[in-house]
Amino acid sequence: MDEQKIGRTPDITRRAFLQGTTFAGFAAFLAACSGAEQSSAPGSITVPTAPPVSAAPSLASPTPVPSPTGPLKFANWPAYIDLAGKAAEEEVYSPGSSPTIEQFKKKYKVDVDYEEKIEDNKLFYATIQPQLQGGSPTGWDLIVVTDWMAAKIISKGWAEAIDKAHVPNADSNLLDALRNQPWDTGNDYHYPWQSGMTGIGFNTKVLKQAGIPEPKSLKDLWQIKADKMSFLTESRDTFGLGLLKLGKAADPSSPTILDDLQAVYDDIKPLVDKGLRFTGNEYLQDFAAKKTWAAMVWSGDLASSGTEGDMFQIPEEGLMSWTDNMLIPKGATNKYTAELMINFVYDPKIAAQIEAWNYYVCPVKGADVEIKKIDETAATSPLIFPTPEMQAKFHNFQFLSEEAEAKLDELFLQLSGG
Amino acid sequence: MTTLQATATRPGSWRRRLFALAPYLLLAPGLLWLLYFFVWPAAQMFLMSISSGTLDRGFRVTGTLKPYTDALTKFPTQWGNSLVYGGISTTLDFLIGFPVAYTIAFRGGRYKNLLLFLVIAPFFTSFLIRTISWKILLGDEGPVLGFLKHTIGILPVEYSVLYTPVSVIAGITYNFLPFMILPLYVALEKIDISLLEAAGDLYASRWQTFRRVTFPLALPGVFAGTILTFIPTMGDYVNAELLGSPQTRMIGNVIQGRFLQLNDYPVASALSFVLMAGILVAVFVYARALGTEELTG
Repeated sequence: MDEQKIGRTPDITRRAFLQGTTFAGFAAFLAACSGAEQSSAPGSITVPTAPPVSAAPSLASPTPVPSPTGPLKFANWPAYIDLAGKAAEEEVYSPGSSPTIEQFKKKYKVDVDYEEKIEDNKLFYATIQPQLQGGSPTGWDLIVVTDWMAAKIISKGWAEAIDKAHVPNADSNLLDALRNQPWDTGNDYHYPWQSGMTGIGFNTKVLKQAGIPEPKSLKDLWQIKADKMSFLTESRDTFGLGLLKLGKAADPSSPTILDDLQAVYDDIKPLVDKGLRFTGNEYLQDFAAKKTWAAMVWSGDLASSGTEGDMFQIPEEGLMSWTDNMLIPKGATNKYTAELMINFVYDPKIAAQIEAWNYYVCPVKGADVEIKKIDETAATSPLIFPTPEMQAKFHNFQFLSEEAEAKLDELFLQLSGG
Repeated sequence: MTTLQATATRPGSWRRRLFALAPYLLLAPGLLWLLYFFVWPAAQMFLMSISSGTLDRGFRVTGTLKPYTDALTKFPTQWGNSLVYGGISTTLDFLIGFPVAYTIAFRGGRYKNLLLFLVIAPFFTSFLIRTISWKILLGDEGPVLGFLKHTIGILPVEYSVLYTPVSVIAGITYNFLPFMILPLYVALEKIDISLLEAAGDLYASRWQTFRRVTFPLALPGVFAGTILTFIPTMGDYVNAELLGSPQTRMIGNVIQGRFLQLNDYPVASALSFVLMAGILVAVFVYARALGTEELTG
């Protein structure tokens, strides 16, 4: 019952308190929330599709059960796995600090090399692309990337097909809403790790001290002193919210998308000239140092790793939603162990344990029941289980046409000074 | 058969031949290293810089010069930042480093080795960690600004240094200071004290001695120090990335962004070549200005 004890350590209590404050203003939001237009499905032309899975090995000869090999090289984003003890205070993973990873190691008697290596899809992709292109192993057995990047890697045939026999939990417990993605309809190559939202983050105390009203909308956010703000290096998030701010459709298949992206650039450029910065998860450090007054943030981060007074605000205009997915990159040396890990985190108990820490949206059926046993606050948190009102505000701005992606990349690089 | 006879008649000639070959053999590891890890990638990069295409579709050598025109025309701010920040940092490093090197060389006494050790001690920590700690040092409520704002109260509460050109230049100056101090120290340390005494005997004042004897003799160190500092500062992108904002980006950031974010390998390669060529020209001009015979010391 080790995991239960970890759930009651003092830092969890402190976090529970923080999470309480995080949603202080939430009821007000929900009240004000009107059923906005549904986010449109990504245009079918621009979504890359998965290559067909090679025929299953003949049923006549059952393959022998492989044994787990290690260490499992697992690359993930910061603030994404449950932590305990000193690491929980520092909010940075170190070996031995995550109950989930430790339980996996114990259960399968295999080592796990978990690293918080990903802060930006494109930057991470650039580190593995040459190996994948050249047909050599990337050094990773399991990676976590956002939908559009997962689709890209899968469509190039750079992901290992997941053996369904090894992932029964994942096969049965994946939420129906996340099944049947056009880019991998049968989940042959991917399983979601977490979903999340991109909205506004701020610290109530810091804003109060500065005498600035709390931003309720993206328009409010744009009014805050630019050199006390950060937007995201994940350009789809920054430009997606930028489109919503201008009242334009955050829809990749919109016929005016190229002009709209340009309009967002023109809208953000003055902020950059006044000192706006772009960050990945490292905005957490700026929040901790009171350097940032408000920022575009990912939904779970401030609740799991923030400081007192940190809030996640759903902008009146709407917010971005996305899913980060586990993939096994081609040529992974410990493929079976990676499959075991996918299966392991789809155990509702384990999923609940991760969720109660990271406060992202859970892709696992049954975790909502299990999480009640760990943390009542988490069980009702709209960060983990978004309400239908919130879901109505979700926008998916991911699957861009090649032309739109090139335009976005160029505009974003100009903004960020490259 | 003739060769066999020759060796038989002149024993030791193979030895002589080996001696003649020795310089080349000694050079071989270094040459091979450079060939494989410098010349070969540089050649590949050159080919890339005259290619067109995208990462997903592949690049083809087309002999286009567009990457070069892009490299030269599209990034005036970042080229300017590199020159200005690199220039200011190198100057600051010289102004800070010379007195330090001078003191260690002439007044260090038995603490010389300890002082030199202190100069390089920061290298025992990772470059990134050192740069990130400047974020804390220069933070809005950090030990410097916090003190000036709250304890003394001479700065307004909103004043901040982090993410401005000041913090970028401070980071660069700090990170490359040892590259200035060490060559300066070596040059100053070599100076024969009796030359300085002779200057004194000839009624030169201390200042005159410094200006006409010490400094000219230290010029090789000044040259080496400024080159070793200026070249890496020009290409640096870590300081601008961690301590700066989009407005303080340097050309190194552009190269990194083009390579890793935009996957625009041709322009990134062209930028690298322009940077290399620019630095080569600058070094050449600088060497001529200082006088090349000084270079060998």
